[in-house]
Amino acid sequence: MTKQQPRDRIELVYGSLDMLVLRTLRWGPTHGHGIAKSIERMSEETLRVEHGSLYPALQRLQQEGWITAEWGVSKNKQRAKYYHLTAAGRRQLVAETSRWERYVRAISGVLRPAQTS
Amino acid sequence: MTLRRELSKLGAVLRRRKPAEDLEEEIRSHLAMEEQENLESGMPPDEAHYAALRRFGNVALTQERSREMWGWNSIETLWQDVRYGLRMLRKNPGFTIAAVLTLALGIGANTAIFSLGNVFMFRPLPVKDADRLAVVAVQYHADEDPGQLSYPDYQDYRKQADVFTDMTFYDLNLSGLGYRGHADRIIMAYVPSNFFTMLGLHPALGRLIAPGEGDEPKTGPVVVLGHSYWLRRFGGDPGVIGRSVSLDGQLVAVIGVVPQEFKGPYNLVELDAYAPIGSHGMTFGDPHKNFFADRSDTELRVLASLKRGVTSKQAEAALNVIAQRLAQEYPETNQGQIARVIPERLARPEPAVESYMPLVTTIFLLMVGLVLLVACFNVANLQLARAAAREREIAVRAALGAARARLLRQMLTESLLLAMAGAVGGAVVGNWVIRCLERLRPLGDFALRLAFTFDWRVFTYVAGVTLLAGIVAGLAPALRSSRANLSDTLREGGRGLIGYTQRHWLRNGLVITQVAGSLIVLVAAGLFTRSLTNAEAIDLGYDPHHVLNVNLDPKLQGYDQPHAEAFFQELLRRAKALPGVESASLAFSVPLGYYGDGTTVYVEGQAPQPTDKRLPGAGYNCVTPDYFSTMRMKIVSGRAFTDADTSTSQPVAIVNETMAEQLWPHQDAVGQRFSMGGSEGPFKSETQGGRGPWVTVVGVVRNARVQGLLDAPGNFFYVPQTQNYKSTHVLQLRTSVPPQSLIIPTEALVRELDPNLPVYDVMTMEQTVAGANGYFLFKIGAAFAASLGALGLILAVVGVYGVVSYGASQRQHEIGIRMALGARPNSVLALVIRQAVVLVAAGIGIGALAALGVNRLLASLLVGVTSYDPLTFISVSGLMLAVALLACYIPAHRATKVDPMVALRHE
Repeated sequence: MTKQQPRDRIELVYGSLDMLVLRTLRWGPTHGHGIAKSIERMSEETLRVEHGSLYPALQRLQQEGWITAEWGVSKNKQRAKYYHLTAAGRRQLVAETSRWERYVRAISGVLRPAQTS
Repeated sequence: MTLRRELSKLGAVLRRRKPAEDLEEEIRSHLAMEEQENLESGMPPDEAHYAALRRFGNVALTQERSREMWGWNSIETLWQDVRYGLRMLRKNPGFTIAAVLTLALGIGANTAIFSLGNVFMFRPLPVKDADRLAVVAVQYHADEDPGQLSYPDYQDYRKQADVFTDMTFYDLNLSGLGYRGHADRIIMAYVPSNFFTMLGLHPALGRLIAPGEGDEPKTGPVVVLGHSYWLRRFGGDPGVIGRSVSLDGQLVAVIGVVPQEFKGPYNLVELDAYAPIGSHGMTFGDPHKNFFADRSDTELRVLASLKRGVTSKQAEAALNVIAQRLAQEYPETNQGQIARVIPERLARPEPAVESYMPLVTTIFLLMVGLVLLVACFNVANLQLARAAAREREIAVRAALGAARARLLRQMLTESLLLAMAGAVGGAVVGNWVIRCLERLRPLGDFALRLAFTFDWRVFTYVAGVTLLAGIVAGLAPALRSSRANLSDTLREGGRGLIGYTQRHWLRNGLVITQVAGSLIVLVAAGLFTRSLTNAEAIDLGYDPHHVLNVNLDPKLQGYDQPHAEAFFQELLRRAKALPGVESASLAFSVPLGYYGDGTTVYVEGQAPQPTDKRLPGAGYNCVTPDYFSTMRMKIVSGRAFTDADTSTSQPVAIVNETMAEQLWPHQDAVGQRFSMGGSEGPFKSETQGGRGPWVTVVGVVRNARVQGLLDAPGNFFYVPQTQNYKSTHVLQLRTSVPPQSLIIPTEALVRELDPNLPVYDVMTMEQTVAGANGYFLFKIGAAFAASLGALGLILAVVGVYGVVSYGASQRQHEIGIRMALGARPNSVLALVIRQAVVLVAAGIGIGALAALGVNRLLASLLVGVTSYDPLTFISVSGLMLAVALLACYIPAHRATKVDPMVALRHE
């Protein structure tokens, strides 16, 4: 399967998956498959999420108390587990996002002079 | 947050089945959605299904990772690992047996040594406030081992010291306990009435000695039995309370039994009975015995309970203030007396200037630790070899999604299982070693109490050692094989060529460490052995070969002096007539035995030295005329005793060379006179202010090692039995036949004369000198060290053998090519052996250097040999090299038998 992977797809940086999941859930409750799809959609297919790796992350986020889950029925009349963002999850997302932005700024600050020269 | 996390984990554990099913359903629904989407985008159904699976990734791994999040997974995987490990071990019985045996020997040696250390250092007495219990002892020079106190000194210290909550003592005694016509020789203690209360003990049966009971002379005709003795002699009969028994011929009432766990305050033997100190005077009814007032009669082993917050050093300082007052008041006995307060656990078995037990324990724990390390490395090597064979299995497991940590844990679980099996074997081995030690009879018929008790200390130690052994043996192979590059391994078809050099490096490192470790142990063994040889070469001053000792004590059967004398006269006459007996004599004690007697000495016409007002002391023995010829002790001047030295003739003595020089320097000792004080003195007279009558020296005998093996002989003299009666006798026979062969005839002889008189401590003189005061410690030290050395050597050589034969088998192609190109078998042999020599030599070099450093610890325990003794180092290194090369010869020889064609066709 690795061979079918498009060249311009990027593997996720460790730990950033949590942030993306929380971000996705800001639009409202959805199931695992929906989360995977919307991450791919939002990143214009650049970020590749191996769907399986999503589930340990969802378990972890539940344990942290950032999301909760309950069973529901999808629009295709299928049983699916829906995840909701909690208040703590919202706060975590804000904190993570600002931390990420600072990180990106710092990295770009280092890389940019090299690009211009 | 973390609390909530824990709670949620706990919740998950409680709802055990649910999350797994939940997740499974969730994944199913996820896959269905993806498949649906794929179908909608126009994929054929088959492809839609597989694309969804691909997109998802490893389902099993996802489940496992998620399960790890829930927490209860670790227990489940542990159980899985254990089951899988057991299955693997069962599948390779050869490997399992070899590994378990190796570890059992290593752990067993550790268990034995630690149990001994536990007995001597760690295990507290089962009494109240054991951590504040101290031994009080006195010495007269800072470098002299502190000894026992006299009763009046004890009373003065007890009344005046305010650093203890209380002080008590015990006075060890060998006595006869008679019941229904049969007498037993027992080891017992006379104690003051506060003994049991201070130690906070409660009776298992009846009562213990009551406060104030029997503290006054000639009171307290009662006895408390030791628990084991009560079981042994009275069959654990509760009706024994209130019965009369005879203690050294005196009728006393049994009042109680001590609790089972209390074996007595003395570390080496379990006491059989306890009686009030006041009855001491009654049972030892010597008219002149003045035990309660005589400061030269030092028999008391004193125990004190330190007040809370008082250290033993502070208590010692406080006691020494009192000691100085006593020295001024009683210079004859107390001049220069220094009080020592030693924590009880550091005063085992006897108080010493510096307790050598921590040192001995440390040294031997280090040695067994090294042996265990060597053993672990052998198992590690075995596992490495096996890991090579298992590479494919492990690669398959990794490919199926087992995490590296999981594989590591699996491998470690297996080696821990091995270690645990080893620990069970180790407990058996350890127990056996202790049993062997107890059989050495260093204290005659009294059983040495080393009691292998599996208390929490031993348990913790063994558990710790086992865990460590499991990790040490398993970590290297586990790390190595879990790192294996799985795609390469799988592609190679499981031939396992990866990490070839790396594994060699690891195996070689292990073997070098093994050789080094076992060399350190071997050097120590060599030094201890040389020490024993040197100790055995010490001129004892008598000939211990071909002598049989048989102990008899007629007071056990209530003999008075005239009857006993008649009995022994007849016994001696008949013993001399036994075939094979060259000469026979009687004595009170035997050289280097576990009991003896001593006294202070007054020299006629000599004022006590102004610098040291304390009277000189001397040991003595009461003997019959043939004693010196039986023992082959040379009279250097004067004469031996004769039959003309009787109870009515002039009192005479024979002194040793030291005593002659010390008391009569630059004079002829023969013809001089001395007398002796002290209640234990052999001379029955109350004249001359407590001293005995003048005794004339009639001879000087060569110095002999009587009281101790290593110390230069001190003052010692001999007096005739006819003039000095003691009930305890040892019949000594010099034989022309092996002395053991006379045991049965001699015992029969005693039975003819009195069928009820117990015969005890029947030993050859050689066995006696191997006892606690003789070669015992040297012998067990050397025996222990030698067994550990041999064990280490074998294990290390097995390691060398393993790595060399593995190396040779790996080089089969190369050897085949060499032989095809015309190499001779000898050069192939050299090729393989060269590899071994390099490893062994490296190990020996490292080991020798380490031994130079480590073995300095031994220095103070060695006799006549330095810790860097070149001869030992060279011979031990030679031994190691020789044995290792011998072991290598087998795989090397096998390598020369390689058929070049077969080896080459392999390619």
